[in-house]
Amino acid sequence: MSLRIPCPCCGGRSVHEFVHAEIRRVPDHLTDPDERDLDFAFHHDNEEGIVTERWFHALGCRRWFEIRRDTTTDRIIEAAES
Amino acid sequence: MTTLLVDGQPIEAHAGESLLLAMLRAGLHPTSGGCVCLGGDCPNCLVTVDGIAYTRSCQVKAEAGMRVTREHVGDEEPALLPDEGMSAGSAAPVRHVHCDTVVIGQGDSGREAEREAREAGLGVVTLDARDGQHVTGVYPGPLVVAADGGGRVLHVHPRREIVVATGAAEIQPVVPGSDLEGLVTARAAAELVAAGIDLGRAVVVGESPGELPSGSLAGHFPLGHGGWELVRFEGNGRVEAVVLRRHGDAGAAEERIECDTAILGLGRNPRNALARMASDLPVRVVGSAAAESELPPCPRDGTVCPCSGVTVADLDGVWERGFHEMELLKRATLAGTGTCQGGVCLPYLRSFLLERGGRLQPAFTARPLNRQLTVRELAAGAHTAVTARSPLHDEHLRLGARMDRAGGWWRPWTYGQQDDEYRSVRESVSLGDVSSLGKMAISGPDAEAFLERIVPTRVATIRPGRCRYVLMLDERAHLLDDGMLCRETEQSAGDRFFMTSTSGGSGFFELWLRDWAEAFGCDVRILNQTASLAAINVTGPQAARLLARAGARRLPAFGRHQHVRVASVDCRVVRLSFTGELSYELHHPAADARKLWRRLLEAGAGFGVQPHGLETLLRLRLEKGHIVIGQDTDYDSTPRRLAHEWAVNLNKGDFVGRRAILRTNKQPLDKRLVTLRTDDPPPPGTAEAPSAEGAAIHDGDRYAGYVTSDTGTTTGGATMLGWLYLDAEGRLPREVTVDGRPARRVDGPTYDPQGERARAAVDVASESPENVREFPVARLEASDLAAGAPAERPRLRRLEATRVSATPAALDALVERPPWPDTALAFRTAPDELLVTATPDFEVADDPHAIVERETAFSYVWLDGTTAERFLDRECEWRRPGARPALAQGEVAGLPAKLWFEDSRTLILTPAPYAAAFERRLTASLAEIDGDAA
Amino acid sequence: MNEFTERQMKLTWRPPKASYDVVIVGAGGHGLATAYYLATRHGITNVAVFERGYIGSGNSGRNTTIIRANYGIPAAVRFYQRSVDLYRGLEEETDRWLMHQQKGILWMAHSEAAVRAERMRAKLNTEFGAETEFVGPRQVEELCPELDMSGGGRWPVLGASYHPQGATARHDRVVWALAEGAMERGAHVHQNTPVEGLILDGERVAGVRTAEGDIAAGAVVSAVGGHVSRLAAMAGLRLPIRTHRLQAFVTNHYRQQFGPIVASSELFFYASQTARGEMLLGAEIDPQPSFSYRSSHDFVQDVCRRALCLLPFMASLRVLRQWTGVCDMSPDYSPIMGRTGVDGFFITTGWGTWGFKAIPAGGEQMAELIASGETPELIAPFGLDRFARDRTMADRGSAGTH
Repeated sequence: MSLRIPCPCCGGRSVHEFVHAEIRRVPDHLTDPDERDLDFAFHHDNEEGIVTERWFHALGCRRWFEIRRDTTTDRIIEAAES
Repeated sequence: MTTLLVDGQPIEAHAGESLLLAMLRAGLHPTSGGCVCLGGDCPNCLVTVDGIAYTRSCQVKAEAGMRVTREHVGDEEPALLPDEGMSAGSAAPVRHVHCDTVVIGQGDSGREAEREAREAGLGVVTLDARDGQHVTGVYPGPLVVAADGGGRVLHVHPRREIVVATGAAEIQPVVPGSDLEGLVTARAAAELVAAGIDLGRAVVVGESPGELPSGSLAGHFPLGHGGWELVRFEGNGRVEAVVLRRHGDAGAAEERIECDTAILGLGRNPRNALARMASDLPVRVVGSAAAESELPPCPRDGTVCPCSGVTVADLDGVWERGFHEMELLKRATLAGTGTCQGGVCLPYLRSFLLERGGRLQPAFTARPLNRQLTVRELAAGAHTAVTARSPLHDEHLRLGARMDRAGGWWRPWTYGQQDDEYRSVRESVSLGDVSSLGKMAISGPDAEAFLERIVPTRVATIRPGRCRYVLMLDERAHLLDDGMLCRETEQSAGDRFFMTSTSGGSGFFELWLRDWAEAFGCDVRILNQTASLAAINVTGPQAARLLARAGARRLPAFGRHQHVRVASVDCRVVRLSFTGELSYELHHPAADARKLWRRLLEAGAGFGVQPHGLETLLRLRLEKGHIVIGQDTDYDSTPRRLAHEWAVNLNKGDFVGRRAILRTNKQPLDKRLVTLRTDDPPPPGTAEAPSAEGAAIHDGDRYAGYVTSDTGTTTGGATMLGWLYLDAEGRLPREVTVDGRPARRVDGPTYDPQGERARAAVDVASESPENVREFPVARLEASDLAAGAPAERPRLRRLEATRVSATPAALDALVERPPWPDTALAFRTAPDELLVTATPDFEVADDPHAIVERETAFSYVWLDGTTAERFLDRECEWRRPGARPALAQGEVAGLPAKLWFEDSRTLILTPAPYAAAFERRLTASLAEIDGDAA
Repeated sequence: MNEFTERQMKLTWRPPKASYDVVIVGAGGHGLATAYYLATRHGITNVAVFERGYIGSGNSGRNTTIIRANYGIPAAVRFYQRSVDLYRGLEEETDRWLMHQQKGILWMAHSEAAVRAERMRAKLNTEFGAETEFVGPRQVEELCPELDMSGGGRWPVLGASYHPQGATARHDRVVWALAEGAMERGAHVHQNTPVEGLILDGERVAGVRTAEGDIAAGAVVSAVGGHVSRLAAMAGLRLPIRTHRLQAFVTNHYRQQFGPIVASSELFFYASQTARGEMLLGAEIDPQPSFSYRSSHDFVQDVCRRALCLLPFMASLRVLRQWTGVCDMSPDYSPIMGRTGVDGFFITTGWGTWGFKAIPAGGEQMAELIASGETPELIAPFGLDRFARDRTMADRGSAGTH
């Protein structure tokens, strides 16, 4: 066991059941300048602290959901706290 | 009394006593010396027990037949190479225990914590080293891992709290002679006396252990102000005298007291390693484990770290040379990196650094493992990755195929005769199993708009019944995967599509689609049919005739697809080509795959049909210049570099990667993936098939790229794909060398450049009727799960069911008034997805875009309630629902599973590609449970 | 008495000055190597290295100490081969025992697809100077008799690529030798002194802000591991970096000599023996970005399970200690070295899971860049500007490997 990820559909499961992703940004590609597209494609905030992120429950319901997590401790911020 | 062997000599042990007591009783010191603590805190009693070295003899019970070896006895290297008794790769069994609170340590404070928790109505698990429950660490989860004293490993999952009540260790002596035999801590002395072991004449230094046998006390010397300080122990192998002097007076005369045993009450150090490694876990430390550390005097001489053999002189040496931080002192001397993890040295390192540097430094980081379990024990509960099986796996084995892992699936690599396989495709007709392709049904009001935004091809112009090759790009415009996109022929409401990915991408396909669908806010239904549908590629000039003989009455033209009944199996027949020949891909329910495969072989017997493996397929596609994702593509593979601009339409609306294509197109092109042809034989000694993969390409003397794919040389030549760099003038060279062989860059495929063979016109009706085989049609019946019963020997069977993807509200309404028989079971696997053991002959009234499909992707087994609980205690680490009936989903035995709990039985569902592995793990686990019970 | 206690190196600590020619942020292997090569190759010694903890307290002291050059693309093979060569001479050059042992690395193939990939790797590596050959099962067994060639019955060894120059060294000693070499020539290293800000002079980075005060610098080099995004942000830069945990563990002393480094991409672990005799194992990074140094049980559990398939003798070894580092991963899983587009500010980052093996070459090349003002050819492909120039490194085969 490692980090436990709370899937809203299936309950808490080991991080191994999931795939991690950042929140997708949907910029207006038709008008964005190159510089903003470069940033969109490659750069990360790499935040030290609380982030909002997406997880896909690959070994369970196979759906995406969002959680908040502190990257300095890996603690999941429960919905009630945020 | 039990008998065990120490260095080959039998000794007797009292029932229930520790191995260390038994050895001391027999007059055998476990190591070459050092103070014995009996508390598991020092490395001075480590022995090898039944081949497992570094075993704390004070922490294991003496058992009959144990074979114990002492490291310092004899000078032969112990044989530790793989011995025949060790079953390769076996892991210890695990047991998952869920509770509210776990209490580690069962001394006074541990028992008190346990009592309080029980009075509060909490579920409590206690772990105590004296019962063999050695806690190796506290981890995120939270999780407490411990040996259980019976060969198993416990994974305790507390919901609320971990209570650390591990008590305190005794401070060990660090003076010259502290590595002699005959030194014991005060608590150890009391235990030895209680066990009736004779200590001889004993000197007590510091705190007294209490009552000693009359006449044995040779002197008691309290430490500290007004008392004494320890100077050294004297003796030859075993202690003969303790030397002390008055505290605080370096010039004071030394007192030498002769003895057989020195009893050392030097103070306590909390056993707080578990608490220190816990950081922000819900841990509470109670009792003496929570106390402040007592700092011993700064050591003057002697061994500080007995594990690594570090002396005070060593500490001084590195200090003088600038290693002043606790961690640097540790790393430079290796003090604290052995079995006891600083149990002996840490207090002395702190007092040393305080005296030298004038600053009290914190303890070094506490890291797992607190108690060193073996690799076999630590592997408990883990499984290696499983490779998925096509529904045709056993057919391939039956035909003598050599199976190989590729892209997460077992694929037939070759059936033995690669050249025959190749010829059957090129000259007659052949079958290829492509069931591992990713397959996805997509429908909904936004289906077309959604697909327009994620593939670079124009989707609007794919008319019903047509299909098109599509790329999948990331937002960097690097190629992720490719596949084909088919628009359904019949449209009842809105759009519906069928899309494939490569085998290697099939795991990623669904999450990628869903991710973008949500990001764009598109109203679509997505149903993953990767395991639901098998796929057989019928390819070769005689492909259409074979299908006609198998009863296909019509076949799609190139670039189209149709629902066709082939050999009495309902198929989606897609006509594109990867091999370069006339090809029909038959997508059909996985449950029908074996039937269809055998019937196709039967119907094609007159053409000498035979299957081809992956090895042949890789050669066939290369002659057509088709890329393989991962082999020919990389982190910079834009469509431009891949020479796939033809698959990109920049004039439609936005799609993932479009902006990046526009951006990168402004940069000068550096290289392109090209097809190379050489007619020269390969260099001598490299006759093996794809020998040029990885070879450098040269343009004269200039390094010009490297080969990514090679057909291997056949009939004097070879076709390759490779990265070719543009020259200084920005041109791609035409004539190059590969491994010294001249090669020529060719435009387009080397085989059938015009693509006439794949596009050949066919006439199914011309097949003479006497050749057409009739095959019986099977009636569709859903699995009758309600009537299923736990079997003696659990076998997984394929489930015949229906899967529905629809809006949550529509599914709510559907299950409210189910259109299926009462005997069917319906599992709501996601808010927008339902699995029901009925035939797919109903509609979802409230969602015209709902996808309702026959589903044979799962295998199932019923277990009786008790067996299921015992199996899941081992193979399922998460907390299971208490309610009945209940559905739960997650990892079981290392595989994805759906569990349906009824009052007295439990249904397990797992994807059919993993069913063989699941059954193997289930059987092994049940056998272990039987073994435990026996 | 233990032969592994350090008995040679001397670290000399001096108080910080108000100004240096070069300030390096981060006293790990790469930062100290940059200082070392500035001093030894270019005579630039008015240099300070600032470290928030103790020297080598980041990934330099937490890695699995493997040195090799068998990467997947020519630019990477050339760069890492330079590092392999520098490592081989480093003990003699510094006159310090770094426990450098050349032992060869075997990269197992358990499938035909992997056989092809390893054959390809061998050919490409050899072409660019990192000698590697594909060896069949019999030779694999000779090189590593402890292997269960059936892979526990499920992961048979069909062959391996063998890179004889694969080596290991003691990570701490490499760090200390470079620190000592820089310090004895006059460079300063300041421990427990975090850099809290960058001093900007218009568009130019002109120094660093520390608890000891502002320090002026002719050039500032970020050799930070784990917090590089935060430092770069102080210079107004957003980086293509995400930070992930990487874990590892050692067993107790194994009393027989275990020859080569063994790696398997399909089983996803690697193992080698330390100079002290411990078996050292590692595997992949944790999936989620994280700065936490917390170890997890599932890591040790899974890696033990996989290792048992190939190395069943390990069943009876005890795992002694596990630990965690944090790795800065770039989008193409290759390092980023060179200029940043901000005047006076240089960067060496993206060291992911391959930083240790690159320490000497990384330091040497960064020193040359700073001393000469010209980006050396060897690291030109690794520049931060490669993403904007559509020149991401195409080394998929090496992604995530140690």
